[in-house]
Amino acid sequence: MKQFVVIGLGRFGSSIARALSEMNFEVLAIDKDEAQVKAMEGVVSQAVVLDATDEKSLRELGVQEFDTAIVSMGDTVEDSIMITLTLKELGVKQVIVKAKSDLHSKILKKVGADRITIPEREMADRLAQSLASPKIFDFIEVSETYGIVEMVAPKKFANKTLSDLNLREKYKVSVVAIKRKIPYTNPDGSTDFKEEIIVGPGGQDEIISGDVFILLGRNEDIEKIRKL
Amino acid sequence: MNDDYNDLVELAGFYILSQRYDEAIKVLRRAEKMRKTDARLYYNLGIAYEALNEMNEAREAFRLVLKLDPDHKSAQEHLDKLIEE
Repeated sequence: MKQFVVIGLGRFGSSIARALSEMNFEVLAIDKDEAQVKAMEGVVSQAVVLDATDEKSLRELGVQEFDTAIVSMGDTVEDSIMITLTLKELGVKQVIVKAKSDLHSKILKKVGADRITIPEREMADRLAQSLASPKIFDFIEVSETYGIVEMVAPKKFANKTLSDLNLREKYKVSVVAIKRKIPYTNPDGSTDFKEEIIVGPGGQDEIISGDVFILLGRNEDIEKIRKL
Repeated sequence: MNDDYNDLVELAGFYILSQRYDEAIKVLRRAEKMRKTDARLYYNLGIAYEALNEMNEAREAFRLVLKLDPDHKSAQEHLDKLIEE
């Protein structure tokens, strides 16, 4: 079975770790913050408090045995670069890293990251990508058969809660996050919206027309949802 | 007629704020049949389409706003964002 190590258990990292675990993958979750690690206990196969910038500790933990590492270090750009470099040196086959900016992304590529994602990337960048496929904004290959995809929620899902939709049972996919546009009125009376990200949404969360899903699942199952 | 038009645009604004974008578009299209010269209508239409990720329609609506009101800053910002490829 494919094994994943998730380093950095902030909102993005913990959601990915949780979603992978729900898919029955073996997940090792690492963070230097004890509270973040405690929150993942019982959720993933193993959760460890560790400073991942320390190569020796990573090696002792056996991180090099894992197929894929997901590095999600929040604000610490230097740390994510160091950890990526170390993971590649240790021989981890695939290293997926969350980046803060295009510059960060370039450096990560240079130190050997196999896949880079910028979840907070400007809307404009995503729109550019969406031209190729109007419904799919972004795609991260987690393994040959599994991916994380950002796609517009099908219209027929609108006004239903996640527990009504029961996507995990029906389509075998897990909703990692929902991106939603929140409308507001300007002082001059005109309307506009800002984007909000609901990470790790719960069963009671209702889907609104125009929501964008970040889904984890088998490529073929994601494709089924895309076709709805 | 004028009151009807304003009521429809106002109703559409309410729908947008309630995140009922499909309804907003329907109402705005009805209003459009009464008047095609109001930048406010096309701006709201652009917002509703963009919220639904229907980007071609959103771009077209914001372009119409700028045709009617070339100094419309918000429409220009939305359009810039939508055409930045």
